[in-house]
Amino acid sequence: MNDADTIAAVATPPGRGGVGIVRISGPKAVEAARRIVGVVPPARTAIYRRFHDRAGHEIDDGIALYFPSPNSFTGEDVLELQGHGGPVVLDMLMAALGEIGIRPARPGEFSERAFLNDKLDLAQAEAVADLIDSASEAAARAALNSLHGEFSHRVTAMVDALIELRMYVEAAIDFPEEEVDFLADSGIATRLHDIEQKLQQTLASARQGTLLRDGMNLVIAGRPNAGKSSLLNALAGTDAAIVTDVPGTTRDVLRERIEIDGLPIHVIDTAGIRDSDDVVEQEGIRRTWREVERADRLLLVMDAREPMHVEDQQLLARIPPRLPVTLLHNKIDLLERDIPDDVDAERAELWISARTGARLDRLREHLKNAVGYQPTGQGTFSARRRHLDALFRAERHLLDARERLEKSRAGELVAEELRLAQNALAEITGAFSSDDLLGRIFSSFCIGK
Amino acid sequence: MSNEQYDVIVIGGGHAGTEAALAAARMGVSTLLLTQNVETLGQMSCNPAIGGIGKGHLVKEIDAMGGLMAHAADLAGIHFRILNSRKGPAVRATRAQADRQLYKRAVRAAIENQPNLRVFQQAADDLIVEQGQVVGVVTQMGLAFRARAVVLTVGTFLGGRIHIGLNNYQGGRAGDPPSNALAARLRELALKVDRLKTGTPPRIDKRSVDFSRMQEQPGDEPVPVFSFMGDAAEHPPQTLCHITRTNERTHDHIRAGMDRSPMYTGVIEGVGPRYCPSIEDKIVRFADKDSHQIFVEPEGLDSNELYPNGISTSLPYDVQVNVVRSIEGFENAHITRPGYAIEYDFFDPRDLKPSLESQHLPGLFFAGQINGTTGYEEAAAQGMLAGINAARRAGDQESWSPGRELAYLGVLVDDLRTQGTNEPYRMFTSRAEHRLLLREDNADLRLTPIARELGLIDDLRWARFERKREAIEREKQRLSDHWLRPGDLSEARQTQLFGGPLIREQRLAELLRRPEVDYASLTGLPGCGPGVEDAQVAQQVEIDAKYAGYIDRQRDEIDRHRRQQEASIPDDFDYATVRGLSTEVREKLQRTRPATVGQASRVPGVTPAAVSLLLVHLKRQGAGAGSLRHQA
Ligand SMILES: Cc1cc2nc3c(=O)[nH]c(=O)nc-3n(C[C@H](O)[C@H](O)[C@H](O)COP(=O)(O)OP(=O)(O)OC[C@H]3O[C@@H](n4cnc5c(N)ncnc54)[C@H](O)[C@@H]3O)c2cc1C
Ligand SMILES: Nc1nc2c(ncn2[C@@H]2O[C@H](COP(=O)(O)OP(=O)(O)OP(=O)(O)O)[C@@H](O)[C@H]2O)c(=O)[nH]1
Ligand SMILES: [Mg+2]
Repeated sequence: MNDADTIAAVATPPGRGGVGIVRISGPKAVEAARRIVGVVPPARTAIYRRFHDRAGHEIDDGIALYFPSPNSFTGEDVLELQGHGGPVVLDMLMAALGEIGIRPARPGEFSERAFLNDKLDLAQAEAVADLIDSASEAAARAALNSLHGEFSHRVTAMVDALIELRMYVEAAIDFPEEEVDFLADSGIATRLHDIEQKLQQTLASARQGTLLRDGMNLVIAGRPNAGKSSLLNALAGTDAAIVTDVPGTTRDVLRERIEIDGLPIHVIDTAGIRDSDDVVEQEGIRRTWREVERADRLLLVMDAREPMHVEDQQLLARIPPRLPVTLLHNKIDLLERDIPDDVDAERAELWISARTGARLDRLREHLKNAVGYQPTGQGTFSARRRHLDALFRAERHLLDARERLEKSRAGELVAEELRLAQNALAEITGAFSSDDLLGRIFSSFCIGK
Repeated sequence: MSNEQYDVIVIGGGHAGTEAALAAARMGVSTLLLTQNVETLGQMSCNPAIGGIGKGHLVKEIDAMGGLMAHAADLAGIHFRILNSRKGPAVRATRAQADRQLYKRAVRAAIENQPNLRVFQQAADDLIVEQGQVVGVVTQMGLAFRARAVVLTVGTFLGGRIHIGLNNYQGGRAGDPPSNALAARLRELALKVDRLKTGTPPRIDKRSVDFSRMQEQPGDEPVPVFSFMGDAAEHPPQTLCHITRTNERTHDHIRAGMDRSPMYTGVIEGVGPRYCPSIEDKIVRFADKDSHQIFVEPEGLDSNELYPNGISTSLPYDVQVNVVRSIEGFENAHITRPGYAIEYDFFDPRDLKPSLESQHLPGLFFAGQINGTTGYEEAAAQGMLAGINAARRAGDQESWSPGRELAYLGVLVDDLRTQGTNEPYRMFTSRAEHRLLLREDNADLRLTPIARELGLIDDLRWARFERKREAIEREKQRLSDHWLRPGDLSEARQTQLFGGPLIREQRLAELLRRPEVDYASLTGLPGCGPGVEDAQVAQQVEIDAKYAGYIDRQRDEIDRHRRQQEASIPDDFDYATVRGLSTEVREKLQRTRPATVGQASRVPGVTPAAVSLLLVHLKRQGAGAGSLRHQA
């Protein structure tokens, strides 16, 4: 990247007091240091200096740091100026840089350069982008975990284990004369099982990271008049949804984005489910099902005064097995007996009133816990949907590999599934060639004549 | 000074050279095969065996394109096996132990009887280069031959140096002189040259061996056949191989001789193959293994020499004697020829086009060991490709070369061109990502129609091929038209065949997909037969059914990648114009000159980020010219 132009950007969010950091990356970083700081600081050492513009006027004073290529964040020469901040001062610094031909960076351009110079892998580069626009404190932490390569690290460990396994399988195929028929021994099955477990753990963490960042889809469903639209309004603090006492009021899907302590949630109100001859209502019910299939969590709203209806039971029987459900007994303000205790188990049951707002705080708390929202954000990764998808595909191929191994003992098909699993993971961490694999085989087994 | 004009001249009569000459001549262009010694046409420098995993696949591909190797192996094979027969069809491979003399005789007969092909015994010393193009060859005695294209296949002979212990001398292989004049001349041209090494074990007189102390290894019954046109009746009488092992004493002798090993004392600089290590390499690298297998293979029916496969060595002769005699069954063995290592020049294959023509010297094609490969099969396959493209160049036709998804030959050429090699390159099935598609059993279906178009397939083979192909289609159609109803079979029989009762009626084709159902038992059911007689046809139908899901997926994968893979990079593309490419990546690409983005992505050191930059750049450029859209 030696012919690339030099870019600069304010690295602190606008309006925050205290310090203001300007970061410069590219071949002109040295010139910038000479012009503005008056001297090129020794590598990776902070020096305190006054900052001047071209005419020699003092702009600010502060700390200058210099990271020569390639040992910098972007891999290029990087200069960091930490001054007192304030929009005016920062503007003047940027203007002074502009005078020597340094242009403002496009959003994400620093990470892009870091990625192009192999300073970040794809997962890390995406984590930087996440960090920049992360909505909540916890999501920012999760993004930081990925940035530090926590996610990459886990995936890389899995890929390593997978390569090891493939090495045995491929050796058995390509060297049948060599007393390395690993397909016949149980070690393969054990290794396969270990990788599956690692993958499932990573998937669980990664999935949560995605929910934290993108926000989970929370679908409200139930019989007509149960109070679904009222609940949406109560959670969103608006009257976005029409509420009447006519059953079948809601005909179409309605979404509201809310935040609970910074945790983004997409609340989705749906048409009440019942047998209906009305075409519009039928279409609404069809759309309800579509939302249910895509949900990350389902809130099933019922009237607290009544026992569970068959329609509710049928609904529960039809939803995807993976989908977690919370049963909401609504309208407790009308309840003439004592309010039962909430149940906080696999299938949670809560007692609320959408109209009065009673016990909605418990619902909010419950939702935060349900996504594993911890203010510290530890142990979760910010995985993009793309990563999740890759992990899911890898999981499926590992399952198929197991089946091939157990049922048909077909070595080449086990090998094929493992190859596909690794390909899927390679979308996260980068490629691995068959020659690399052979290299591992030759250095591990005594093979050949 | 002669000034004979040919379309194609092939230099070297080894495995690459003979296939190259035959392919060119079959395509109808006038061809000259120039070789040091007519007696050594088709000589096997090392192990007298053809095929094996990955290699057998190449042999079948050569055969499917009308080449010689499979046919010669059928005429010379004295011990045939199908390796991996208990694993799936994609990784099964044929291997034949060959009688050296019979093999040479078969090759020589084919060469001598091939129309359009002449042989001349002379070493080539120089190339005629005019206006940057290679237009002919000058021989040792100064004869000049001119041609539209020249194929170079001189094996291990360029600057060849043979090592036994700390002694070494010049040689092309034991008993043959090296090619020094040509080596020196080629080093003057703009070609990147490096050194590799390989080795061979001592040979042993079978009369001095006690076979009763070894394990017998018979060939397969029924005896496999290599060529599509072949027949087991062509095989000579079959013999046995044997297996013995090294032991601690063997290893002690080797360790004691290490101070006189040319490898370990640094006399040899060339890099040897990791997967074909000398016995001294095995002892050093796998010190904890106390015994290694040795396959004891006959050199021929009329020969008393044995090839002890597994103890290739360049240790001094006295150490070789101790090593051999420490082995069970070899206690009194007499060595007829010492083992040795050989170092030779090879050319960086990254300088080649997919046609195997040099990027720098138009008119000059490279094939075989000089491209950094090892093995007869690898050499022969490249030879055939170079021969085809030399003939096409002579006829002003565009070059042809198979992709990775079409043939092992495609994998071979693509690997060499994009990765280069720093050790002798050998084929393995794990190199082929489309392994389930590239099988021995369908080599003809993959390649014979293309070869026919290229002019390599005679009418006899074509007619037989078409019959087979039609029979397969017909049988597949029949199996998908016929249904089996639950009522057709007793419930007990259903459970026995399908592991449970049939729930609904099913097409025979669907039933065949089940792992537990095979073609023979399916077509043996009442109303489901008769199946086809031809075993090859039945096998194809069955494999297609068993692999169906996987094959569809691999085809999808191929299609999905095709657009990106095939996005072509213009010949004169300037990598300096791609913003953001690191200098290192730019230099690598400038040097390798990949023809497609797919090839570029396989060049070592080219990061995924660089590939996206390249794609983005090409897309931006092509938006006007529409080149990418044109490719899709
Ligand atoms: C000692 C040794 C050990 C080997 N061990 C193995 C092994 O373990 N496994 C394996 O797979 N392979 C092995 N090989 C490699 C195998 O022999 C080669 O890969 C194969 O023969 C290469 O074929 P080729 O056609 O490229 O060259 P070759 O078979 O070497 O043929 C070259 C031909 O060119 C001719 N020639 C040379 N120079 C000239 C000239 N100037 N003019 C005209 N003709 C010329 C020669 O006479 C010869 O006919 C070994 C080779 C040697 C020598
Ligand atoms: N007293 C009381 N009334 C409620 C409560 N929640 C909803 N209601 C009333 O119940 C009726 C139906 O409410 P909605 O929110 O429209 O119900 P819905 O489930 O969206 O109904 P559909 O859209 O027809 O499926 C309205 O009259 C609401 O005012 C509650 O907590 N307490
Ligand atoms: Mg409603």
